[in-house]
Amino acid sequence: MKATILILLVVAAFSVSTAQLQCFHRKPDIPTDWIDMVNPCVRKMRDQVQEELKAAIQYLAMGAHFSRDTINRPGFAKLFFEAASEERQHAMKLISYLLMRGELASDVSNLIRKHIEPQTADWKDGVSALKDALKLEASVTRKIHDVIKVCEDPQNAGNNFNDYHLVDYLTGEFLEEQYKGQRDLAGKISNLDKMMDKHAALGEYLFDKKLLSGEI
Amino acid sequence: MKVFIVVAAFLVTAYAGTNDVCYKNVLRACETTSKNVNGLINCNARYGAIEAVLPDLQTYVNTHITRSFEYLLMATHYGNYEKSREGFEKIFKDLSDSKWEEAIDLIKYITKRGGKMNFAAVREDTVNDNNGSYELYELESLAKALDMEKQLAEEAHRIHGEATRRRKDYHDPEVSSYLEEEFVHKHANIIRKLSGYTSDLNTLLNGPDSSLALYLFDDYLKQHSIV
Ligand SMILES: [Fe+2]
Repeated sequence: MKATILILLVVAAFSVSTAQLQCFHRKPDIPTDWIDMVNPCVRKMRDQVQEELKAAIQYLAMGAHFSRDTINRPGFAKLFFEAASEERQHAMKLISYLLMRGELASDVSNLIRKHIEPQTADWKDGVSALKDALKLEASVTRKIHDVIKVCEDPQNAGNNFNDYHLVDYLTGEFLEEQYKGQRDLAGKISNLDKMMDKHAALGEYLFDKKLLSGEI
Repeated sequence: MKVFIVVAAFLVTAYAGTNDVCYKNVLRACETTSKNVNGLINCNARYGAIEAVLPDLQTYVNTHITRSFEYLLMATHYGNYEKSREGFEKIFKDLSDSKWEEAIDLIKYITKRGGKMNFAAVREDTVNDNNGSYELYELESLAKALDMEKQLAEEAHRIHGEATRRRKDYHDPEVSSYLEEEFVHKHANIIRKLSGYTSDLNTLLNGPDSSLALYLFDDYLKQHSIV
């Protein structure tokens, strides 16, 4: 009996509120012939958003490792935490681009997986983490290449379309940053590796302080 | 028997005071002839209740990351050309940014107190909510955000409680104070703002031209910060 009254009350409250509030509005009538991205290319771009976030979480795990009390490499931690936020920015840049081109007007809820776990969470030393970072960047670069390949192929899925603008954007903005970032990491690995030749512990300690002060 | 004595001795020293455990470690490490680099296991940063609240803090980090992703999806929805609501896009992007920054801050805090981050520690009801939609109408999206913020606030209260109310050994004012300063007050501000927005929008949508009202409301959100 109580339950029935409760249900009646809920239904009454709901019908009153729907009668009063206009929460939903009609979809505007907008021409769609300006939206010209083709499907296989959009799919690749959406996957790349997830890839960038995966890289962000991997860097987060590196930052967490080098922050630990018994590891105590704050310079490495700073480098990796900053890299994590940069990767997240890359994901957001890709999303902004898709929105600019009229994409992501639907199917947004499954664009990002809600839980991503890093593949590795422990490193032997600083140089092995830097090497992992360089490998990660190289794999991201290859994936951006794959996006470009799909998006500039007019034969793709029968759509006679080469996405010049997107390909230019990916090449000029994303690949540019990838190649510069990779060179920077390779340089760091080279210096650290040589510093550790005779005095491994001291080399890493000094390198970490330099990273922390922003000298390198 | 020998083992028993060693264990008993260890327990006695542990109870006698945890203050000189690291020192004893150091003495032992310096006395032995063979180099023992990993001999200082007791010279860590752990003290107080960190051991007790660590799993909760780890889960709290992961919940922040998930919320950051969810807010990003909500912002993305408002950025599409059909919705085109810059104000809503902005508040959800700001919320996404702040959850991300707080996740990093929490990881740093965990390690400051001698803990280790665990990215696998998640709340099942947070990550497995697969039918959750982020393509929401304006009032719905504010309601969802308000609920998510309250859940984060109450989780902070719960962890705070672990570090204050439980057994005497678990009392840890440093953890409580950190949670208060970095989370509890911020939550109150965001929750109050979201509740105010929900109330305003509720009134506005009740008027004769709710569509125009929404435009003006969105324009207002554009100029104000939620975090
Ligand atoms: Fe990236």
